[in-house]
Amino acid sequence: MNPTVSTRRIAWPALIAVVALAAIAPLLVSDFFLSAILTKALWLGIAAASLIFLAAYGGMVSLAQVGIYGIAGMAYANLVLADGGAAAAVNPYLALVAALLIATLVGLGFGWIAARSEGIYFLMITLAFSVLVYYFFSQVTGLSGFGGINSVDLPGIVGSPEQDPLPRYLVTLVVAVLVFLGLGVLSRTAFGLGMQGVRDEPARMRALGFDVTLHRTLAFGIAAFVAGIAGVLSVFYNTRITPGSINLAQTIDVLIVAVIGGLYRLEGAWLGALTYALIDNYSREWVPEVGNVLGPARFNTLIGVLFLIIVLASPGGLIGIAEQLSRKVKTPRRAPAPMPAPQTVD
Amino acid sequence: MAATATHEEPAPILRLTGIDRRFGGVHAVRGVDLQVRPGERRAVLGPNGAGKTTVFNLISGEFPPSAGRVELFGLDVTTLPARKRARLGLSRTFQTSRLFAGLSVEDNLYLAALGVSAGHLRLVPSGKDGTLRAAARAMAERIGLDTRLDDLVMDLSHGEQRQLEVGMALVAEPKLLMLDEPAAGLSRAERVRLTETLIGLDEDITLILIEHDMDVALRVAKWVTMMHDGRVIVEGTPDEIRANQTVHDLYLGSGLIAHA
Ligand SMILES: Nc1ncnc2c1ncn2[C@@H]1O[C@H](COP(=O)(O)OP(=O)(O)O)[C@@H](O)[C@H]1O
Ligand SMILES: [Mg+2]
Repeated sequence: MNPTVSTRRIAWPALIAVVALAAIAPLLVSDFFLSAILTKALWLGIAAASLIFLAAYGGMVSLAQVGIYGIAGMAYANLVLADGGAAAAVNPYLALVAALLIATLVGLGFGWIAARSEGIYFLMITLAFSVLVYYFFSQVTGLSGFGGINSVDLPGIVGSPEQDPLPRYLVTLVVAVLVFLGLGVLSRTAFGLGMQGVRDEPARMRALGFDVTLHRTLAFGIAAFVAGIAGVLSVFYNTRITPGSINLAQTIDVLIVAVIGGLYRLEGAWLGALTYALIDNYSREWVPEVGNVLGPARFNTLIGVLFLIIVLASPGGLIGIAEQLSRKVKTPRRAPAPMPAPQTVD
Repeated sequence: MAATATHEEPAPILRLTGIDRRFGGVHAVRGVDLQVRPGERRAVLGPNGAGKTTVFNLISGEFPPSAGRVELFGLDVTTLPARKRARLGLSRTFQTSRLFAGLSVEDNLYLAALGVSAGHLRLVPSGKDGTLRAAARAMAERIGLDTRLDDLVMDLSHGEQRQLEVGMALVAEPKLLMLDEPAAGLSRAERVRLTETLIGLDEDITLILIEHDMDVALRVAKWVTMMHDGRVIVEGTPDEIRANQTVHDLYLGSGLIAHA
């Protein structure tokens, strides 16, 4: 992986400003925008945050996050009253806790397997997890319904989104803020600093007395918990879940969201998700149809082009670009980077 | 892991018996025997490719030997993972710095102090870890980095990074300290400072030092092991080593004593 970005203290003023804006947004935008753009960006951002958390602090780029959130979403949808699946009619709050627990435990198992590999191998193993989860639910229709699990019962606090999407938006917003703060605080704990040590120099961590595999496994478990939250929220958002919503395309979409936002900062998750949701909904209106090149599926073309530009122009994603701009405005020019260490002959 | 009682006086803190290591076709270490007593100041010399770093890696548990036995503190640790050897009281530095580039100087030292203590997985804010934080800051002062506590390691100069390497090994309060070319690439002033740090080390700490700079190595060490081609070829006092013809042919004549 690329080098490394440090832990930063949480930028409180910026966070408060953004949250305040998000809190008054319902007064400013339509119900459609509130749901299809903002609510979606918030839960999709949580999914991307679980990926970015592992990448930025642990140096692990995981493609398992959609598989894990699929497990949480499927678990929740099966446990509560719904049309399809097990429809166990468990209390939604209880189901929610159980779904997160299951996702976390499965995540710990996945993590334990994946923790010994690095780089491209880690990527492939985690991709295999997601594919496995997808095929499992595609085939076990007893758990995924025929054509998905529909009309999933939601906890009271979310209300009835068809009538009023506001409670669901606010719940998703609060959870997203808690996830952001929680992961930020975590990164400054003994465990979180250890994660960053593992990211930068696993061999040194071993030489210092750390159990690198255990550290990676637990980090994966924490990310699975966060991905699980996104999975449950996605069911709140759709009020249904199908195997098709946790397939390979969705795995890639979450990766794209994370890369567009910026793999090195948690904030990037939501910036990427918002960008994604906007393009997803408005690419037809904003961009004219141009023959076959920008046909009805111009969303994919646009996202693809944006992805390419960002990968080429700024490995730090949109957040990285924003950071570079603000640095240019604030300080004339940073001191030149230190000379690379002279190579000792070996 | 079997505890093997040692019958010698004083019991060695480190004993290598018939240590061998191959990398594919490269026979990097060939049947090395080595004993280091508690409190010793040992230098390991030898031209590049002699196998010195590989011996360090075998002692610290980076990888296992192809054959032979490693005993540390009277225990057979041949198959013990690196992290457990560290927790027994072994600290090492790396020839090319292996620091946490994305973390601050203080956080690097904090992690080094945390490694040998309990609570690696705690979820309390690390800033509240008073004892370890104090140890980290005290070490930063000792290695002259107290003005750079909050700076990222990637922004340090090469010399500062080498100092931090040593600091991270020391802050764990090891019984056995192994330094792999700590003076490489340092300025003259930095080398003097390093030499003083090493000479001033607590007498209870056992030191094994790989160092090309004779000025540093022969001033710090009381006993020298000379390696060539994966083997130990001469051992002796610094004076004996200076006078040894084989050493001169192999090593001192090669321009590597430019600093001396
Ligand atoms: N991890 C490794 N993989 C392959 N070959 C290695 C490895 N480490 C060392 N070697 C080889 O072993 C020999 C001894 O290297 P090393 O122990 O680094 O020597 P020194 O530290 O004395 O310069 C060299 O030929 C080197 O290329
Ligand atoms: Mg070497």
